[in-house]
Amino acid sequence: MARVTPIDTAYFKGERAGDFAVIGSAVPRSDARGHVTGRTVFFEDMTLPEMTHVKIHRSTRHHALIDRVDVSGALEVPGVLRVITHEDVPNNWYTVLRLIGVGPDDEPVLAEDRVLYRGEPIVAVVAETEEAAREGAARVAVGYTDLPAVLDVEEALADGAPIIKQAGTNHFVYEGHHCRRIRFGDVERGFAEADRIIEGRYSSSPIEHAPTEPTGCIVVPQGDGRLRIHTNTQAAFFTLDNTALILGVPPTSLRVVGGTVGGGFGGKVDVIVEPLACLAAMLTGRPAKYVFSRAEEMQVSSPRAAERISIKDGVMDDGRIVARKITLYVDAGAYSRHSPYGTTKAAAHMPGPYTIPNVHVDAYCVYTNRTPSSAMRGFGVTIGDFALESHMDHVARELNMDPLRLRLKNAYRDGDMKAHRKIASGTALVEVIQSAADLVGHDLPPEYRAMSSTERSEG
Amino acid sequence: MLTSVQTPGSPEAARAALQAGAVPLGGGTSLMARLNDRAGGDLRLVSLRRAGLSGIDVQGDTVAIGAATTLADIEDDARLSYLSGCVRSIASPPVRSLATVAGNLFVPQPYGDLAAALLALDAELDVLGADGARREPLERVVTDGLRAGDLVTRVRFAAPAEDTFRFHKASRRRLNSGSIVTVAARITIEDGLVADIRLALGGLARRVMRAAGAERVLLGAPLNAEVVARAAEADVIEPFDDAYASAWYRARVYPVHLRRALLGA
Amino acid sequence: MPSTIVTIELNGTDRELIARPSTTLLSALRETFGLMGAKRGCAQGGCGSCTVLLDGRPVVSCLIPVVTVDGSAVETIEGLADGERLDDVQQAFVDHFATQCGFCTPGMIMSATALLNRKPDPTRQDVTEAICGNVCRCTGYEPIITAVLAAAERRRGDPAVPTPTVPTPTVPTPTVPARPAPTEAEV
Repeated sequence: MARVTPIDTAYFKGERAGDFAVIGSAVPRSDARGHVTGRTVFFEDMTLPEMTHVKIHRSTRHHALIDRVDVSGALEVPGVLRVITHEDVPNNWYTVLRLIGVGPDDEPVLAEDRVLYRGEPIVAVVAETEEAAREGAARVAVGYTDLPAVLDVEEALADGAPIIKQAGTNHFVYEGHHCRRIRFGDVERGFAEADRIIEGRYSSSPIEHAPTEPTGCIVVPQGDGRLRIHTNTQAAFFTLDNTALILGVPPTSLRVVGGTVGGGFGGKVDVIVEPLACLAAMLTGRPAKYVFSRAEEMQVSSPRAAERISIKDGVMDDGRIVARKITLYVDAGAYSRHSPYGTTKAAAHMPGPYTIPNVHVDAYCVYTNRTPSSAMRGFGVTIGDFALESHMDHVARELNMDPLRLRLKNAYRDGDMKAHRKIASGTALVEVIQSAADLVGHDLPPEYRAMSSTERSEG
Repeated sequence: MLTSVQTPGSPEAARAALQAGAVPLGGGTSLMARLNDRAGGDLRLVSLRRAGLSGIDVQGDTVAIGAATTLADIEDDARLSYLSGCVRSIASPPVRSLATVAGNLFVPQPYGDLAAALLALDAELDVLGADGARREPLERVVTDGLRAGDLVTRVRFAAPAEDTFRFHKASRRRLNSGSIVTVAARITIEDGLVADIRLALGGLARRVMRAAGAERVLLGAPLNAEVVARAAEADVIEPFDDAYASAWYRARVYPVHLRRALLGA
Repeated sequence: MPSTIVTIELNGTDRELIARPSTTLLSALRETFGLMGAKRGCAQGGCGSCTVLLDGRPVVSCLIPVVTVDGSAVETIEGLADGERLDDVQQAFVDHFATQCGFCTPGMIMSATALLNRKPDPTRQDVTEAICGNVCRCTGYEPIITAVLAAAERRRGDPAVPTPTVPTPTVPTPTVPARPAPTEAEV
């Protein structure tokens, strides 16, 4: 269709072999017909006999010791079948990334003696109807002793800050280090040689994915003893393996049915609803549904992490950036989830798509008493890019230089060594900037037009 | 938990149900949203959908709107075109098909933009109570509420003369968003001076409020930026924090939106 | 909790159900009649995923106790197509890539249908206002608005409408019974 931009064949002529029949053309979506007729089956689109419903009693405190949990009120509600506490969870402690060797297991499925964020699950209530489950959850009584809460990444790392994590530090430990580090060249020598130093500080708030379909699942006990999990997870095998580990059952006793997600954006890669719904199904012998309310989706589903990023550049008057030092804090919230990995990605992404000879990065994965953050579209990279590109504009203004030329001058080229010791290939940044300049009618002098990502000329 | 939903066929039957302790259900766009999400004790509802309370009657300048008339009905009625901007600023079409006039009078702020408009139009309410029918100024009802068991059956007001009604709402998005500041006014200018003014505000207190202080500043004065700026200082407002805006922001931008409502820029 | 027998005209056919006081129109459609097109996205009237037509008006079905609409006519996404032949709005959504995850699509199409039923020749602004209560987190709305305008032209039989260049999907659509709710045996 006309609105599809045709492929710009002016660049990389030698690399294009064969005819592209699909790229650059409009191909009908195979799922569209199901969507427009309402026939696409999402996880919740089934009614099952004997379905039970799971609702959660959640922490009302940011950080507190739990003195007392009284479930008797919940059990008195007509229709409530049973309550689930941490004592019912076979392996209550987990962290999703343990599947790839990340540890320690720092998060309880249900809180034990303390809560680390407002909204943390404490008791699950299983009932005949959603209303009864909701009523039951509301009638659980929890006694707390409040502890000082840490709600800011830099306060969490300050001397004397209350340590909120049982592992003993308010930061994730990377192979014995307090942060994920990148060391490339000698950044202090770079600063000494630079014509000027240009600094900036950038920060972001948590961002909620707000999928139109809330996170949830339906678990159906099978005749052969297995559990069939209908879920909108974006990570079927993460869910399968983590759920099996939490339940203490072989993975073969679970079957995940997924693939249709009513908006995910990374918000459905944690393993939150499935273990408790499985437990509810195991304990009642009936199908169990656990789906977030919209309020839960906003309050307790993990958002994109808030980040705070300081950038210090050593810059030559001609626009070459010769040193870049970055201190980056990722607010993981109360538990790790995917943030230790996201922080590593953030570090590896620095100093952006630019070749800078001296780079120094300290990227901290910090715990606070906020809702645990996790994956969201390009997590670890997106906020970093916001900071980096804001800073590039800042540098251009300071130098009174065209921001596109500043970027072209510093853009990485194929074959360059990146700060984390990977060789850059297929970079194409130079050509993308040139093409973008054409599209918006932005003049570039011939020497910038002549630049190429495949060969480095003196810039 | 919802233990019953009655659908009485007359105002009298609806009132009797209220008297017996049931809670009135208009379009349900506020109440049902709460019930869908929150636990609470047992609750009986009385739906006004079939109680004969819908309809719009215009006789000359006199307008009477049934309490259960939907916002969509008002939107569609060419005789009430001066309310169109207000109504279309409220929620979205599938909500306006349900939401009722009387419901809008009692929703918590920052909703209730129609209530602000009706307050500016000096509306009166027909109320059916234990002692029979009576009429109450809307201004008193939004301040003091109604007695338990009272049923609003109709909203009455005089249609504003042409080009004398102003409605301006500041919101985070242009469509389908709660109010940051709402200004509704009935205003007449004669010989360059404000000859009649009635001003109502939303988003600036826990209830819609009449800006009596601003009215005093404006009445008899020329309508210009300096006078409007003084009028914006003349009332005690008690704005609040919510997901749409902070109390600070609401207070800060109220003068701007009063100016835009009255001067158009 | 007393239950009530409620009759609604559902996509042109009178249907009865036994409703509890708390049964919403949405839960009646989904759980009693197995019509899963209307979705529960927020249960707050805020996302529009549950939009259906009630006596011709678009409504958020999650906020309506079904006992209050006894005797009303309800139209859902399942009532639009004529057998396997999509109606103009559905076809336009397919042709103009107005779907992505698909969760908002049924509600969006019902809001668009309500608009076109009342206003056959809407402006772009009319479409924007008509769908302002239907949240889509995937598309950014532009292809949806384009699709609704294209559907309006197609409905009017405007000869200027270009034939869509996108062919009908060659992937065979599974034939699903009129009540597509999966049963225990199917899933």
